[in-house]
Amino acid sequence: MKSTLIFLSIFFTGWSLSCPGLAFCQDEYQFDLSEIERKIEKKPYELGGFFEFRPVLSGLNRDSAFYSLQYYNQSGESTREQYNLGLRIEGSLRKNITSLYLRTDSLLWHDRPEWDRDTTLSEGYASLKPGPGLTVNAGKQVIPWGKGYAFNPVAFTSRSKDPDNPTDALEGYYALSADLIKSFEGHLRTVAFTPVLIPVTENINDDFGDQDHINFAAKLYLLLWDVDLDLLFFTGESRTSSYGLDFATNIRENLEIHGEIAWITDFDEKSIDTIGNVSIEESDVMSSLLGIRYLTANDITFLVEYYHNGGGIKETDAENFFRFVKNSYDTYVLTGNSAGLSKAILTSRGSMAVAKPMKDYLYFRATWKEPFAILYFTPAVTSIVNLNDQSLSITPELLYSPGTNLEFRFRTSFLIGDEYSEYGEKRNAYKIELRARYYF
Amino acid sequence: MPRVLALIIISLLTSLPAYSAEGDEILQKVDRNLNPEAFDMYRKLINVEPDGSKKEFIMYSIKKGRDKVASVFLSPASEKGRSTLRVGENMWLYIPNVGKPIRITSLQSVTGGIFNNADIMRLDYSAEYNCDRVDRKEDLMTLHLKAKTRSVAYDGVKMWVDKEKLLPVKIECLTSSGMLIKTLHFKQTSDFGSGIVRPAVIETDSPLHKGYRSVMIFAKIKKKNLPDEAFTLNFLSRIESLR
Repeated sequence: MKSTLIFLSIFFTGWSLSCPGLAFCQDEYQFDLSEIERKIEKKPYELGGFFEFRPVLSGLNRDSAFYSLQYYNQSGESTREQYNLGLRIEGSLRKNITSLYLRTDSLLWHDRPEWDRDTTLSEGYASLKPGPGLTVNAGKQVIPWGKGYAFNPVAFTSRSKDPDNPTDALEGYYALSADLIKSFEGHLRTVAFTPVLIPVTENINDDFGDQDHINFAAKLYLLLWDVDLDLLFFTGESRTSSYGLDFATNIRENLEIHGEIAWITDFDEKSIDTIGNVSIEESDVMSSLLGIRYLTANDITFLVEYYHNGGGIKETDAENFFRFVKNSYDTYVLTGNSAGLSKAILTSRGSMAVAKPMKDYLYFRATWKEPFAILYFTPAVTSIVNLNDQSLSITPELLYSPGTNLEFRFRTSFLIGDEYSEYGEKRNAYKIELRARYYF
Repeated sequence: MPRVLALIIISLLTSLPAYSAEGDEILQKVDRNLNPEAFDMYRKLINVEPDGSKKEFIMYSIKKGRDKVASVFLSPASEKGRSTLRVGENMWLYIPNVGKPIRITSLQSVTGGIFNNADIMRLDYSAEYNCDRVDRKEDLMTLHLKAKTRSVAYDGVKMWVDKEKLLPVKIECLTSSGMLIKTLHFKQTSDFGSGIVRPAVIETDSPLHKGYRSVMIFAKIKKKNLPDEAFTLNFLSRIESLR
């Protein structure tokens, strides 16, 4: 299987390099305005999306806590392959001031020993646009708030991003939202107000929070003295009330700064003891983010973000959890008793299931646009550092678009950390991934 | 002593930036001939590589006043919906996948290829440049332009203008040291209606991308009453609805 993965990777990389000469060679451009006018003709409907093939090879860390949790009753293996086939379909329909939008994501994957599949309606909503200053949306929609790239403490109305893939489209929640915009001359150039109603029942948004409640959130946006400012809040019975503020501005022509601060009331702060028991203490917590985006003269963009997760678990709690998993695994090996591991699985779902469960993180990403005059080629490197236990991930990647609507991304991730640290105890030690995507 | 004083005054005067009021006036006329105060238009961008292969993009753009401009890619499918908004020195990028606009530095490039923001999100030349000097030769005038702020992509611009039509024929984009970054050739002057007669094609070549060429073809440039709300962050994902 591993050889198949390597073969496919080489095949696609080779294809990407050979494509320009084969498929896209054409002569001079044609000056034909009527041809452009035909292409820009407005249709009442649109259909598009992409098809994706993504093989992944994971190098497993057999000494890690999460490896023990996942594979304790399986034969030991050091690598694992996964093959993913994805299809996104987006469609829209417009008539006068009303429109409909739909996005579905389908995934077919092979993770030994079997194939599995899933289709999700990620978004599906109706819009009413009586004028440029007012829009009303009803249905399943993504309402992403916040200025951060990898983390968004003020994202009260959307699902959490995956910081390892922060630009991936999220699945929405069913909501009724409106957008009111007013522009002015002077220092205050824009005021916009976005109220949102999010119902939670047994069948609608059941993973948002407590059921049988209607929640209300709102955002007030100002463009004031060339600074984007948002004041945000969430109230309702499904989750505890939260208040937030974010900002973004350009302080130089090549330097942008942004930040977020969120105050979450009555948050269930968790702590874990050495025998895997979780205790909860209710308190108000503050999460925050501060980031910069800096562009160098040779087109390298540096993005650095510091994220403080006020509701995250402490380093000692994470260490207690990892010790408990390892002790439980030793017990299982010696006695065959898996009760401790079963308890640890439940604990991990409640406390360690979020993408970045601990207190303080540093996100770093550098992208170099088209180095050495190679068009449509962007190498990048990303690192996420857990500042509490000094463990980290490093992810170099190459993005290349050899032809119209075709895109390849080759990415490797290395997880580095001591024993009992977040990245040191992850299931994978490294991951190699190729993503070939064709847009239509 | 008076001679020394005169010398000091003369040297002080010559050290001040020497802007040409006449040149600025010509530049404003060139701007108005290129496009009206408020308008929408379509553009086809073509990147031609040394082996002859090419990649094409089509975008819809709106502009109002001196400092408000927004664009959205209509094709290819991989770029569709990617939008940019510029209000003065503020610039935002909307990527449909991400689902929200992000503030970018004003020099950040928004898509691959030889085009950069200065080409795609250009404000009026007179909003970004002062004219230092005007040279005249036969049918052409040469305007020597200098960037007003550091947020402009090119520190200097040399513009050859048709004396009669007051339309650019060629533009050289320069660094502060005078190094050539790219040359724009204006071609195929066409009548777009409503009194808009301007070049419909801009060809670009650059010594930094030897062998590569880019072509921008303009279509359907139309005066349009655009609401200010169309140039806001919240509206960025909906620019296409103005078509």
